[in-house]
Amino acid sequence: MGLLDKLSSWMGGGGKVVTVLVLGLDNSGKTTMLRTLTTTEQEGQRQGPGASSVPTVGQRQENFQSGGVSFRAWDVSGAARLRSLWERHYRHCDAVIFVVDSADHLRLVVARSELELMLSHPDMSGRRLPLLVLANKSDAPHALSAPHVASALGLERITDKPWHVCASSALSGEGLGDGVSWLARQLREKH
Amino acid sequence: MSSFRRDKKEEEDTGGNIFQNLDKTALLQEARYFNSTPVNPRKCVQILTKIIYLLNQGEKLTTQEATDIFFATTKLFQSKDVVLRRLVYLCIKELSSMAQDVIIVTSSLTKDMTGKEDLYRAAAIRALCSITDSTMLQAIERYMKQAIVDKNPAVSSAALVSALHLSATVPELVRRWVNDAQEAIMSDNAMVSYHALAVVAGARKNDRLSTVKLVTKLSRSPLRSPFALCLLVRYAAKLAEEDQTEASEPYLEFIECCLRHKSEIVVYEAAHAIVNLRKSARDLAQAVSVLQIFCGSSKATLRLAGARTLAKLTTKHPNAVAACAVDLENLISDPNRSVATLAVTTLLATGAESSIDRLMKQISTFMSEISDEFKIVVVRAIRRLCTKYPRKHQSLASFLAGMLRDEGGVQYKTAIADAIIALIEENPDAKETGLAHLCEFIEDCEHTSLAVRILYVLGREGPKARQPSRYIRYIYNRVILESGPVRAAAVSAVARFGATCEDLLPNISVLLARCQLDDDDEVRDRAIFFSAILNSNDPQLISDYITNVPTPNPVLLEKALHDHLRLNPDKPFNILSVPSSEPTKEPEEAPVQIETRKQPVVSLEELYSEQLKVVPGIEKLGPPFKTCKAIDLTEPETEYRVRCVKHIFARHLILQFECLNTLSDQLLEKVRVRLESAPGYKILCEVPCEQLPYDKQGSVFCLLEFPRGPIETLGTFGATLEFSVRDCDPTTGLPDGGDGYSDTYPLEEVDVGCAEQFRAHVAPDDWEASWERAASAAEASDTFVLSQSDINEAASAVCDHLGLPKAAISGDAVKEIRGGGLWREGTPMLVRARLVASQGSVTMKLTARSPREDVATLLLAAVG
Ligand SMILES: Nc1nc2c(ncn2[C@@H]2O[C@H](COP(=O)(O)OP(=O)(O)OP(=O)(O)O)[C@@H](O)[C@H]2O)c(=O)[nH]1
Ligand SMILES: [Mg+2]
Repeated sequence: MGLLDKLSSWMGGGGKVVTVLVLGLDNSGKTTMLRTLTTTEQEGQRQGPGASSVPTVGQRQENFQSGGVSFRAWDVSGAARLRSLWERHYRHCDAVIFVVDSADHLRLVVARSELELMLSHPDMSGRRLPLLVLANKSDAPHALSAPHVASALGLERITDKPWHVCASSALSGEGLGDGVSWLARQLREKH
Repeated sequence: MSSFRRDKKEEEDTGGNIFQNLDKTALLQEARYFNSTPVNPRKCVQILTKIIYLLNQGEKLTTQEATDIFFATTKLFQSKDVVLRRLVYLCIKELSSMAQDVIIVTSSLTKDMTGKEDLYRAAAIRALCSITDSTMLQAIERYMKQAIVDKNPAVSSAALVSALHLSATVPELVRRWVNDAQEAIMSDNAMVSYHALAVVAGARKNDRLSTVKLVTKLSRSPLRSPFALCLLVRYAAKLAEEDQTEASEPYLEFIECCLRHKSEIVVYEAAHAIVNLRKSARDLAQAVSVLQIFCGSSKATLRLAGARTLAKLTTKHPNAVAACAVDLENLISDPNRSVATLAVTTLLATGAESSIDRLMKQISTFMSEISDEFKIVVVRAIRRLCTKYPRKHQSLASFLAGMLRDEGGVQYKTAIADAIIALIEENPDAKETGLAHLCEFIEDCEHTSLAVRILYVLGREGPKARQPSRYIRYIYNRVILESGPVRAAAVSAVARFGATCEDLLPNISVLLARCQLDDDDEVRDRAIFFSAILNSNDPQLISDYITNVPTPNPVLLEKALHDHLRLNPDKPFNILSVPSSEPTKEPEEAPVQIETRKQPVVSLEELYSEQLKVVPGIEKLGPPFKTCKAIDLTEPETEYRVRCVKHIFARHLILQFECLNTLSDQLLEKVRVRLESAPGYKILCEVPCEQLPYDKQGSVFCLLEFPRGPIETLGTFGATLEFSVRDCDPTTGLPDGGDGYSDTYPLEEVDVGCAEQFRAHVAPDDWEASWERAASAAEASDTFVLSQSDINEAASAVCDHLGLPKAAISGDAVKEIRGGGLWREGTPMLVRARLVASQGSVTMKLTARSPREDVATLLLAAVG
C-alpha cells in the first residue's frame, strides 16, 4: 500500500464510493473472488475456504475496499439463461471486472462473444470506464496464461476503455490484489 | 439506521396524509432515485412506502413498470439499513406477481436468510418463497430445510408458512420437507408447533390412512401448543365426520378430553367441534355446559364465542339451547352489543310465544347501537318468528316497519323488505298491514332496486286486497317523483290493477294515458303497451300479458337469446322455451348467523349449463327445458358413487352421470356408461370421462333423442358403469406403470316418467277461468283407484307424479289438485284431479286438457 492509500483509509475507510459490476460466464469464479476479497480483510477464515459454491441465482451485492476506494460490487449470475439480466446494471456502473475461467478452453469463445456483446451495448460503448479482466483459476492444471487469455478474448481491439488483464486465483487470492489496485488507481485518476 | 422516532416527528410537521394524492407516473420517476449511490435510507424508505401504499390501493402497473420498479428496488440491497431492507422485502413480495425476472434476487435473499442478521432472516424467507418458481426451488431446498428447524422461532415459522403456501403449487417438493416439519411440531414455541402441524397434515391431506396415523399419534402425546392442539381438534373432527362408525370413537374421546384443557381456545375449539358433530342432545351436554360457562365469562370474546355457538345450535337442538335460557338472559344487557344481539335472537328462536313482546322491547333499546350486520341478524330472527307464531304478526310487522324508518344500508333495508314480503305471502291476515307498511316505505326509499321490487309486490298483491284503490295513489306518486326505472315499475304495477279490478279501469286508463307522455322510453313503451292490452278487453290477452306473465330465468334467457342469434337469427324466438324462474326459497334451516354473505341462488339449469358444454352439438338442442334433481344410482358408502341428472330438451334428453371414485389407490380411466336403451329412444352420442382420480367428481354424458309419440317416452334404461382401473400411489395419486385392467360396476335403472317432461306450476288465481277457456281443447279423463289408503298421502303422491308442487292441493274430505304447465315441446296443459276416500281406498278422477291430445293422454298414462 502506498502512503496515499494508507492516509485515505485512516481518514475513514476510503472516500470514494464506486459501483463495480462483476461479469463472466457461470462457474468462472466471480462469487468466490468476491468472497475472498471481502473476508481476507476482516474475519479471515470465518467462512472457511470454499465455504459454499452454489451457483448464483440472479444477483448479490458485496462491498469491499481497496486502494482508498470503496467498491460496491454487483455479483451477477453467469448462467446462460440469466445473462440477459446483466444489461440492467450497465447504466449505473463505474467499472467492470470480467472473470474468465482460464482452464475452460472450450468456452473461451463464449466468454469472448459475451464480452463483445457487453462492450457494444448502448449503455457501455463510448464510456471510458475501466475494464479489469481476471484470467482466473491460474492454479488449475492446463490454465492458460494471462497474455494467452487476452488474445483469445481479442482485448487488443478495445480502444475506448482502459483495460488490464492479470492472472488470478480466486481461491487463494493470488493476483487479486494487483488487479484491484489497478482498478482503484484508474478510478481515482478519473474522478 | 433511520430511527422510527425521527420519522414520526416529521410526520407531525408535515401534517395531513402525504400518501393522499399519489401519482403513479411521478412515483415511477421517483423510484429511479434508488439507482443513486450511496443510498439514502430515509428517502428510499419513504418512496418504498408510497409504492406499497399505491399497490395496496389497487393501482395496476404494467409488466414493464413493475419490472422497472422491481429492478430499481434490488439496488437497495446495497444499504444495510434494517428498516429499508425490510421494506424492500415487502415490495418484492408485492411485485413478485407482476414483474418479470423476479428470480434475480434469489441469491441476495438466500444470503440474507442464512446470514447473521436475525432481523432479516424471517422476512427474507417469506420474500424468497414468493419469487421462486418451481424450477428454482431445488436450489433453495437445502436452506428451507435448515430454516424449518432453525432455533429462532420467527425463522422457523416463516419457513413453515412459506412451505404451506408453496404446497399449493409444488406439493411433491414440500412433501420432502415433512421430516423437518415433523421435528418442528415438538418445538417449544406455540406458533412454530402450530405451523409445523399444518405443513405435515397438509402434505397428507389426500391420504386418509396416514392422516389417521398422524392424528392418533399426536392425540396420545399431548401437544403443548394450544394453537396446534386446536388444529388437531379440527383434523380429528374431520375424520370423525367422514367416518360415522365406531371407528371414530377415539377421535371423539380425544376431543372431549380437550374440553378439560387449561387453555380457553382449545376448550372452545373442542366444544365447537362437538356441537357440530354429535347427533343426540345427550352427547352434547358437556360441550353445551362449557359454552354456558363461556357465556358467564368476564372476557367479551368468550361471551361472544359462547353466545354465537349456542345460536348456531338453535336449529339443530333447540332444547339443548333452551336449557341455557338463564345464561342467555343475563347477556341481554351485555355491554357488548354483538353479544346482546345474539342472546336476544337466540332466545327469540327458542323461547315461548309469551316472551316475545318482552324480548322485542329489549332489542329496541339498543337497536340503534348495533351495526347493520347484526341488525340483519335481528331481522332474520323476526322473520322466522313470523312463520312460527302467525298470531303475533301485528306486533312483529309494526316492529319491522319501525326498523324500515330507521337509518340503514341497502342490505339491511332489503332484509326488512324481504321479511315483510314473506309475511304478506305467508299470512293472509298480515297482508293488508304489510302492504300498508311497504307503501309508506316507498314514499321515502332511496334504493332503486328495492323500490322496484316493492312496486312489483304491490302490483301483484294489491289488486287482491279489500280496497285496492288505496294503493294506487302510492304507486302513482312514484310515477311523478322517481327515476326512470322506478317509474317504469310503477306503470307495470298500475296496469295489473287495471287488469284485475274492473271498477278501477277507467281511472287507470287515464293514468296510463298520462304516462304515455313520459320522457323515458321504457316508461312510455310500457304505458302504450299496457293501454293497448287493457283496451282490447280480451281476457286471454290480459291474462297472458299482464296478470299471468311467465318470468323466464334471466340467466338462461340471456343464454338462449345468444344461441338463437348465433344459430337461427331469422326465425322468431319462442320465449316459452326458456325455463321460468322459480320462486327462490331461503333455505329453511338457516340458523341464526352473523355472516350475511349470501350464496347467490342459482337454478339447477344455470348450475349445469357450463358442464353441458362438452356435449357435442348441444347448441343445436335449444335451451334446456328442465334439469331434474340428481338421483342416486348406487348405494351410499360404496366404492364408486354415481348419480344421474336428467336434462330435458324439447326433443332430446341428456343423461349426465356424475361419478365419484372413493378409492384413494385407484385411478379410473375411460369411464363410460353402457345403456340398455328403452324402446323408441335413439342414442345419439356419448361423452366418456377420460380420467376419474380419487375424490374428484367427473361426468359421463349420454345424448338421446325422445321417441316421437309422447306416450312412448315412458321407459326405463338399464345402466352399467364401464371403466379401466389403474392402481396408484395413494399419497401422490400418480398411477403405477402398466396398462390397468377393465372392470364394470352395475348401476340402478334410470326411469323417464311424466313429471320430468313438464314444467308445472300451481293454479293461478284465475285458474277456473283458464280451465273454462280450455274447454274447447282436447281432453283426456279417467278414473283410478290408488294404492295409498290415506287421502293426504295419495294426493301428495299424485303431485309428485305430475311434478306439481304440494301447494296445488286444496280441500279436506274431497281433495282437489289443480295445476297447469308446459310440456317440453312448448304445449301448454291444465290438469285437475279430484280424490275421494271411500272404504279404505282412494279413488281419483283425473282430467287433463291440452291443445295436443297425446300430451293430455301422457299425463294419464303416467299415473296409470
Ligand atoms: N481451482 C480453482 N477453482 C476455483 C477458483 N475460483 C473458483 N473456483 C471454483 O469454481 C467453482 C465456481 O465458482 P463460483 O464463484 O461459484 O462461480 P461463479 O462465477 O460465481 O458462477 P455463477 O454464480 O454460476 O455465475 C467453485 O467450485 C469454486 O470453488 C480458482 O481460482 N481456482
Ligand atoms: Mg456466483
